Amino acid sequence: MGIDLSIASVSKKFGQFEALKGIDLDIEKGSFVCLLGPSGCGKTTLLRIIAGFEKASAGQLLLGGNDISRLPPHKRDFGMVFQSLALFPHMSVAENIAYGLKLRGLSKLKRDDRVAELLEVISLPAIADRPVSALSGGQRQRVAIARALAVQPRLFLLDEPLSALDAQLRDAMQIELRQLQQQFGVTTILVTHDQTEAMMLADKLVVMKEGEICQQGAPQDIYRQPANAFTAEFLGASNILDASASDQGQVQLSGVDTVFRTDAPAGTALKLSVRAESVVLDRAPHLSSGPLGEVEFIRNLGASTEILVRTGVSTVRVRLPSRDSILQDLRVGEQVALQFDAESCVVFRADAA
Amino acid sequence: MSRVGLMPEEGGGSYKLLVCLLAGIGIIIAAAPMAIIVIMSFSAAETSSFPPSEFSLRWYETALTLFSSDESSGSQAVGAALSSSLLVGLVVMVLSVAACIPLAYALVRGQRRLRQSMELLFTLPLVFPLVMLGIAFLLIAESLRWELGIWRLIIPHLALVMPFVLRNCMSAMQSISRETEEAAISLGASPLRAGLDIVVPLMKPGILAGLIFAFIISFNEFTITFFMYTIDQSTLPIWMYSRTVSSLDPSTLALSVFIILIDLVMIIAIDKIIAGRSSLF
Repeated sequence: MGIDLSIASVSKKFGQFEALKGIDLDIEKGSFVCLLGPSGCGKTTLLRIIAGFEKASAGQLLLGGNDISRLPPHKRDFGMVFQSLALFPHMSVAENIAYGLKLRGLSKLKRDDRVAELLEVISLPAIADRPVSALSGGQRQRVAIARALAVQPRLFLLDEPLSALDAQLRDAMQIELRQLQQQFGVTTILVTHDQTEAMMLADKLVVMKEGEICQQGAPQDIYRQPANAFTAEFLGASNILDASASDQGQVQLSGVDTVFRTDAPAGTALKLSVRAESVVLDRAPHLSSGPLGEVEFIRNLGASTEILVRTGVSTVRVRLPSRDSILQDLRVGEQVALQFDAESCVVFRADAA
Repeated sequence: MSRVGLMPEEGGGSYKLLVCLLAGIGIIIAAAPMAIIVIMSFSAAETSSFPPSEFSLRWYETALTLFSSDESSGSQAVGAALSSSLLVGLVVMVLSVAACIPLAYALVRGQRRLRQSMELLFTLPLVFPLVMLGIAFLLIAESLRWELGIWRLIIPHLALVMPFVLRNCMSAMQSISRETEEAAISLGASPLRAGLDIVVPLMKPGILAGLIFAFIISFNEFTITFFMYTIDQSTLPIWMYSRTVSSLDPSTLALSVFIILIDLVMIIAIDKIIAGRSSLF
């Protein structure tokens, strides 16, 4: 698998505002890349630069080794699915899907074949002649995807296309989208602010913040080893606790030494990230070495139950399976000790970006 | 606890009566002239006195003979006036829309400040006194060295019609999202092609309404045309005015009924196009 698209120190300024600050990113052929970040992080700007709708203020885009930075968008041969889907309201479903093929000069016969093939792929064979206004949300979604894939694009770009769907449908569409992408083997870049969506779809996850890439890599790796507090927080209900380095090179949590070691000089402010599901409660605090706290709030989420434990400096979120025996008579106000699963804790400097 | 009525009808009761009364007066003022013209056009009398004592179709016959006769009694014949009215209307209609489609596109997609100032600029002919516009256009036309022909009527009409056409095209343009256009471009359409394939079809209701507005305004225009017309280049309203200025000729009333009918059909068409399903007719 070679590199398909290479983004080299691309930056973008809107007047004084720096939307992108020197982005470097390599995208492998056939891979599914998710650009993940909160709104205003520059992810959509980056996608629009890739598509050609915005011009980068500096930097290069190399597609298969060729510089495409100056190529106008209609000559890039990419397929794009927009946030609003942007189906052509005055055309039928078939005409929508065939539009790109028509521009490429395909005969009516070949166009019809390809449209039928794609409608089969998106499992909506019977809607070819319907106007797009008569489609449901999920159907529109599929038609927009089919329209972009019909032209066999070099790159498949998606700008938060699933954000308008309700949760259940979005879930189903995520699975479908991933299957389609693998079936077509097309290099895909998707922009989203939904971490579950990104986790489930991506081969490579790119976390962005304020115009910069915070971290990139396989989703599981980023999930397990976030490089900084921002990534850790963005990728799920993590606890980010203030810690510090002790003289002996150990990580201290509210004054208590932990098993974690650090090479940071004594007194450095650190952060310890631990997932809610990696914390264990101990109801005999006097026997435990972990930090103490008081149960502040309990809520049952069905399969799991969330408990907020107030320690001296912060509130720790704990998630236990609801059938855990400890939950049977746990009361608000009770003293408990917290134990962290060392495997799933990550320590980083407080100023890490 | 007694309720305090917020609407006058809850307190008093004469509110509804007042509305009906005002609406009635409004309708009478607006419709009476047309009704009188229609009634008078069926008069059998030689003179135009209201109400007519007898009814006939004789003035419609006279109106028809006006078209067939070749008499050029100083002024232009009615046939020539009608055909130049139609010609001016059609040219104004086509040119104004052809100019307003790209203009509306540029203004809606362009910078906001530019859009606001341009909109104001194009609205000026609406608020400017027509008599002054007429004088201004006459001054310009007379100071030019070459013969303008029919264009001495078309150009002022264009200025008058543009605000309406532009407004219609812009409001249609505003509902077209940039993404729809970009979708076409991402599929391989050049920006021009995307404009023709996507923007123009989606602007269609605004364009059609603009076409009809342009025609109606141009066809009915009198004030500016009164300054601009020549013996060779005149319009139907001017002909009718010159025909009735000395003595009221009921055959012009018969012609007016035709014009009212044409306008009515066009207004219904506008209503259908703009309002769609919620149209009045």
